[in-house]
Amino acid sequence: MSSPLKAYKRANGAWGLRNQVLILPMHSALSSTARAIADNSDGAVAISHDWSGEKDSDLARILFTLSGYASNPNIFATVFLSIGNPEEEQIIKGAQALGLTRFTNLLLPEIGSMEKLQQQALTIANGYVKEASAEARVDAPWSAIVLGLECGGSDALSGITANPALGVASDRLVELGASSVLGETTEILGAEHLLAARAIDPAVGKKIVEMVARYEDSINYEGIDIRGAQPSRGNIEGGLSTLEEKSLGAAKKAGNAPFTGTLEFGEIPKVAGLYFMDTPGHDIEQLAGFGAGHINVVVFTSGRGTPTGSAIMPTIKVSTNTPMYESIPDLIDLDAGTIADGIETLAQVGDRIFNEIVQVANGQLTKAERGGHHEFALSRMYKTVVK
Amino acid sequence: MRKVLILDPRDNIAVCLADLAEGDVIKQDDITITVKNKIPRGHKIATSEIAKNDGIIKYGERMGHAVAPIAIGEHVHVHNILGDRLSAEQV
Amino acid sequence: MTISIKGFDHGNRGAGIRNHQLILPTVVCSTHVSRRIATEVGAVTFAHQHGCGIIGDDVAGIDNFFVSLADHPNVSSVLAVGLGCETIQSQELAAKLLSRNKSTQYRIIQESGGVEGTVAAGVKAAHELSQAFPSAPAAVAKLRVGLDLGREVDSAASLEQLLKDEGCEVVVAHSEASSAETFSKLSQENVHVIISFPSESQPASGFPLIPVINVASNGVLHQAIRGDFDIDESTLLSGIVTLLTEVAAGSETVAEKSKSGEIRAPRVVRSA
Repeated sequence: MSSPLKAYKRANGAWGLRNQVLILPMHSALSSTARAIADNSDGAVAISHDWSGEKDSDLARILFTLSGYASNPNIFATVFLSIGNPEEEQIIKGAQALGLTRFTNLLLPEIGSMEKLQQQALTIANGYVKEASAEARVDAPWSAIVLGLECGGSDALSGITANPALGVASDRLVELGASSVLGETTEILGAEHLLAARAIDPAVGKKIVEMVARYEDSINYEGIDIRGAQPSRGNIEGGLSTLEEKSLGAAKKAGNAPFTGTLEFGEIPKVAGLYFMDTPGHDIEQLAGFGAGHINVVVFTSGRGTPTGSAIMPTIKVSTNTPMYESIPDLIDLDAGTIADGIETLAQVGDRIFNEIVQVANGQLTKAERGGHHEFALSRMYKTVVK
Repeated sequence: MRKVLILDPRDNIAVCLADLAEGDVIKQDDITITVKNKIPRGHKIATSEIAKNDGIIKYGERMGHAVAPIAIGEHVHVHNILGDRLSAEQV
Repeated sequence: MTISIKGFDHGNRGAGIRNHQLILPTVVCSTHVSRRIATEVGAVTFAHQHGCGIIGDDVAGIDNFFVSLADHPNVSSVLAVGLGCETIQSQELAAKLLSRNKSTQYRIIQESGGVEGTVAAGVKAAHELSQAFPSAPAAVAKLRVGLDLGREVDSAASLEQLLKDEGCEVVVAHSEASSAETFSKLSQENVHVIISFPSESQPASGFPLIPVINVASNGVLHQAIRGDFDIDESTLLSGIVTLLTEVAAGSETVAEKSKSGEIRAPRVVRSA
């Protein structure tokens, strides 16, 4: 079945569903400058973060994340704002190795001040934006879609409406040749044996179980009561009673398709299929991992509502219940609450989600994109010890 | 409108789709249940008798266990069940 | 001669040298909404990466950090903005803040009708706070100065003595890598102003609530971006008292003008 998709073809064969110009500060002190450049530009986007060049145990993770993010196929060009640390070269080289071809690196010490840096970057960014708008999408195969599956602010309906409906859409896409990535290791704690049973071979299944065990080790070693954060107080108020219950409901986002493989945080899948990526449950850290892993569209299910979006990946919000959709419509793109009301079946809503993904892939803006929500957070282990 | 949602025939709980009051009678498909407590929308209601230490089954899978006996129609939540994985209690 | 400061009365927070209304996002997901509110009413806000999936010692750690920011003497009133499902609940934090300072309100995105609703409600609440708690002038009896030493500074001891002679209280902190964490620590010590000596490989940086005076070293980076600093280390001792007096009286530092806004909260463990 040929696809109705039209996307941007990149030099390395990857596909972009957007053509963003990204302003990437290489130091937290340049975050406000990056934001100001994007705000004043003709449509460039920026991320901000709090890394100041620290060379601690999180350094490798941070460099890997920034390289992957800067080279996401949804990006037409990246403007790096640097202060001259040697790690910055590593990030740029890393991004190039992962497919980044068009970029400018602006060095603060060469330019002389943050104000001048802002002016120069603005001119360059606007030039890129103009070029990007002139580029045309071309016919793309189903494999152009690399879908990220996310949930946040879950309630008891997440696992019975939005998540399984998303699973229907995800299964359909994977069957057509697209890729789909499930994340949030903490969310499958208790359900990992189910996912492992669906792996294409025992080695992949073993890896899924190992990733969850590794996560548990890092939490238990600190003597932390995992129930402190998951299910969260909001989850419990909404009706979720145990971590396993929440995990079973979360795992439903990945439908029933077999797992082709696992991915470390920010790792890019090599062949098409369904994957599990080791990410934290922190909504925004997960998105950073997805962006670094070259996911190009995200579906984010939510029971309580969240404005979260990404500078580079269109993030489609699906509500689990109709009252939330009606009370905060500017946060939600599609309502799956009709399943709970018996108005639509799981298959019907799954269909709607599938169609929404296709339309968004082809350029339709999500609410989060229109609202300018460009959240970003670096995922760190801090002093957490993994045995 | 359906008041509860049963996800799998093997389940011993159902998810409430509306706030239920004590004394409400759920008549759906082939089940008839009298609600034993006030149960908020989104929370679970027992659709079978559940003994202490029995598994709580949702989506056909075990999501935890009972720490007290639970009657049909009772609210099933953090006050009478615990997860299996990180629970201090041994089954 | 002692530096005498005409500052602002901020109730239980004490007297400050700035009159900042703080829009405090209690979770990363509400930072964008907080920025929109702050931009519209002219308040101060900041970006951070925390709040979701916090576990262990970080829960109390971040909670305390937010409380200390809201309690800072340079703050006139606080509007806390939360999402509704985060670990640190906005209502509970707001209740804690309210018990310390009446000039506090909170809004929750999930309960305020989404983004637009929260921005509108937040702007209204911010205006109400400004009107209800206008800041009366107050003398700052003792200026608390934080010294952020990110590099070896020969004149550090002399500077400390000089400031004490001028009637200031001095809090000294050493940065290991960057100044961000030190600024957060110094803010918890309620310093009114910070004099920062970033490491030679670090740029100048700022902190939303506290004017930061950046002192340039002779190093290549600092001299290349000398415009981002307020004063050279070589002329520090002769110029600092005048500069400090001007900043305390309201003159903006370079970092304040560029509205730098990233905050590092103290963290011990990973997010769940």
